[in-house]
Amino acid sequence: MTIVLGGEQVASVIEAITPGSVTGHDSSAAWVRAETWPAVARGLHDRPEADFKFLNSVTGVDYIDHFVIVYHLTSLGHNHSAVIKIRCGEAREDPVVPSAVPVWRGADLQEREVYDLMGIRFEGHPNLKRVMLWEGFPGHPHRKDFLR
Amino acid sequence: MTDGFLDNAFFRNIYCNLASSGSDRCAGGGPFGDGLLPPGWEWLAFLVTAFVTVFVVVNGALMAVNLYIWGERRLLGRLQGRLGPNRWGPFGLLTPIADLIKVLSKEDIVPAAADRLVYSLAPVLLVVPVLLAFAVIPFGSSTWAANLNVGVLYLIAVLSVESFAPITAAWGSQNRYAMFGGLRAVALLVSYELPLVLSLIGVLMIAGSLSLVDIVNAQDVPFALVQPLGFLVFLIGSVAEIQRAPFDLSEAESELVGGYHTDYSGIRWGLFQAGEFMSTMVSGAIIATVFLSGWRGFDFLPSHAWFFIKFAGVLFVMTWIRATLPRLRIDQITSFAWKGLLPLAAVNLLASAVLSLIWPRPSVGELWAMAAVNVVVAAAAIYVLGQFGPKPGERPRPAVAPALGATGREGAA
Amino acid sequence: MVEHEPIALTPTPDNPLFRQTYELDRSEGAVINQMRATHIEQFPDPLIEVPAEFRRSIFVGSIDALLNWGRKSSVFPLMMGLACCSFEMIASAMSRWDLSRFGMEVFRASPRQADLMIVSGTVTWKMAPVVRRLYDQMAEPRWVISQGVCATSGGPYYESYSVVPGVNKIIPVDVYVPGCPPRPDALIYGIMQLHEKIKRYSLAGRAAGRE
Ligand code: SF4
Repeated sequence: MTIVLGGEQVASVIEAITPGSVTGHDSSAAWVRAETWPAVARGLHDRPEADFKFLNSVTGVDYIDHFVIVYHLTSLGHNHSAVIKIRCGEAREDPVVPSAVPVWRGADLQEREVYDLMGIRFEGHPNLKRVMLWEGFPGHPHRKDFLR
Repeated sequence: MTDGFLDNAFFRNIYCNLASSGSDRCAGGGPFGDGLLPPGWEWLAFLVTAFVTVFVVVNGALMAVNLYIWGERRLLGRLQGRLGPNRWGPFGLLTPIADLIKVLSKEDIVPAAADRLVYSLAPVLLVVPVLLAFAVIPFGSSTWAANLNVGVLYLIAVLSVESFAPITAAWGSQNRYAMFGGLRAVALLVSYELPLVLSLIGVLMIAGSLSLVDIVNAQDVPFALVQPLGFLVFLIGSVAEIQRAPFDLSEAESELVGGYHTDYSGIRWGLFQAGEFMSTMVSGAIIATVFLSGWRGFDFLPSHAWFFIKFAGVLFVMTWIRATLPRLRIDQITSFAWKGLLPLAAVNLLASAVLSLIWPRPSVGELWAMAAVNVVVAAAAIYVLGQFGPKPGERPRPAVAPALGATGREGAA
Repeated sequence: MVEHEPIALTPTPDNPLFRQTYELDRSEGAVINQMRATHIEQFPDPLIEVPAEFRRSIFVGSIDALLNWGRKSSVFPLMMGLACCSFEMIASAMSRWDLSRFGMEVFRASPRQADLMIVSGTVTWKMAPVVRRLYDQMAEPRWVISQGVCATSGGPYYESYSVVPGVNKIIPVDVYVPGCPPRPDALIYGIMQLHEKIKRYSLAGRAAGRE
């Protein structure tokens, strides 16, 4: 089985890559500041001690007063996995997160899906448009304030 | 040289009942005494008999294809652990008839962009050559519509017209999927035509004739034994030529919707299907005739029964292949033809040429000797060829997609 | 470890890929929005009407009997699966239930050659134009079975933002098969009901399913 790294371990790894980018951690995940995310992602992907070559999933969560993006990462070489969370869109205003597509190509469609259903913009995404719904759909349906 | 369909007692009786007893073909008149027509009107008798023959053969083929479709569907069902059609009519025998009625009564759509002439020509191009091919096949010891002295040449010529049908259909219907299917079909047919014909030449050299009747007469030992390599190549080649699974990539549903007949509906599509099944039957009949000694067999059954048994056996094997093997990719198929079947056919040709130099008019014993030599040659050729192919368990390495490499990602390494 | 340069990806909308596909998406979205606005009423179920003067006609009657027998005995389904129900449709063609007993194992991939569209599963608005187009491409006579509650009414996704509330808003449906998913038995029962329906059509009556 894959070794699941705890939040503290992940936080220390990230802190070693880019100091000052971690805002905190809980038992399972490390929290990263949105502005530093591209550098952190690049480091997590490239550094031999992290070696997270595989992005499992990108998830968006609506916490009513803010949004959270969750990245699940796996290192096939070291056989360990980590969870990174990024807080964005305080007070529901224009949630923006830097895109991870330059690092993991697999984030492409998943970030588009999060954009489509949650309305979170991914800065630097090469082709950010709707993927599940059609162009011209009013609103982003997985937001908690979406009413039919 | 024989009289063609007049060799058959049934048709000869019709002819002799019409023609006057003075005609040189039936001295002594028909079974009902003197003929109906005065002397000098033999041509009319001949024409009427010819009409009857063609009617019987064409309609027989069309009836038989219904039976064959039913049989194939039942057999496929059985091979896949199903029952197969069994509701309509006894044992589901009426299912193909129902298909026919439905297909006839279905709306006939011609796409607006289609080239109407070419579009409507394509199904005919498929069906007519197949029906023509039935003309030279000997169904029994004296039953054939024509006994051409160039029978094999005629067959090859007629059946190669059939390979125009897919590309014609594809071009006519102006549909991208159809075009893909048509081009694939052409690549396939062009590749397999060559080994197919080459593998027949060995037979022709041993039999010393192009007439199918003479070929059957020469088979004191079935040519499947005398020419094992030729038989194998011809069997595989003809399955490919009629584009059945595993060579049905020209109408691969998962990729190309319906292949070259994507845009055909109603009876035109029905013609395509009937043509495909009929060309299977023609291939089966050719294999039974050329390689399995046709109507010849032991005396306790009539010659027609022997032909039918061999014919049905070949069709069974073809259905079995269809039910068993998955579809191949186009590159696998063409490379199999050019790198596999063509060398084998060439080896077969070489071996038969040498052997027929040694034994120009082989007796039964010499035929068995040839069979022994050829079996060894076949085994050696297949073994040597196998050394060049991929080893068991070996898988081709996929090439790295250049788009990823170009972006400086590690995938290029 | 190889040193990487970051991928040179231009941001939206200067990206050529974006520009190429965006217009397409826009027009597709417009079609869907328009369908959503207009397809509110459900299509009435196709009626079978035989005019009174033809009911007793022996000629029309016997031709009808032959044609209808042929049509009902060789209903080729369209190879179209939309959601989970399609697995039940596939299973009904496999050895245990075996649609081929009815001469129906010939799943045609091309709508031109199919007679029966089994709408097997959730029809989303994004798929709706495609379903409609496939239906339009099918040659007459054609029939539609709506399999599962999703296709029938929206089912679990009723009132959802993306699901068509019943495929009969888009195309006329002949037979509804309820269930989530309906077992293959249920689907086969629906098909047999369709056979019953086909038997009652008449040359002289209205064409099936046309308004
Ligand atoms: S009815 Fe049920 S099984 Fe069928 S598509 Fe809908 S959710 Fe899936």
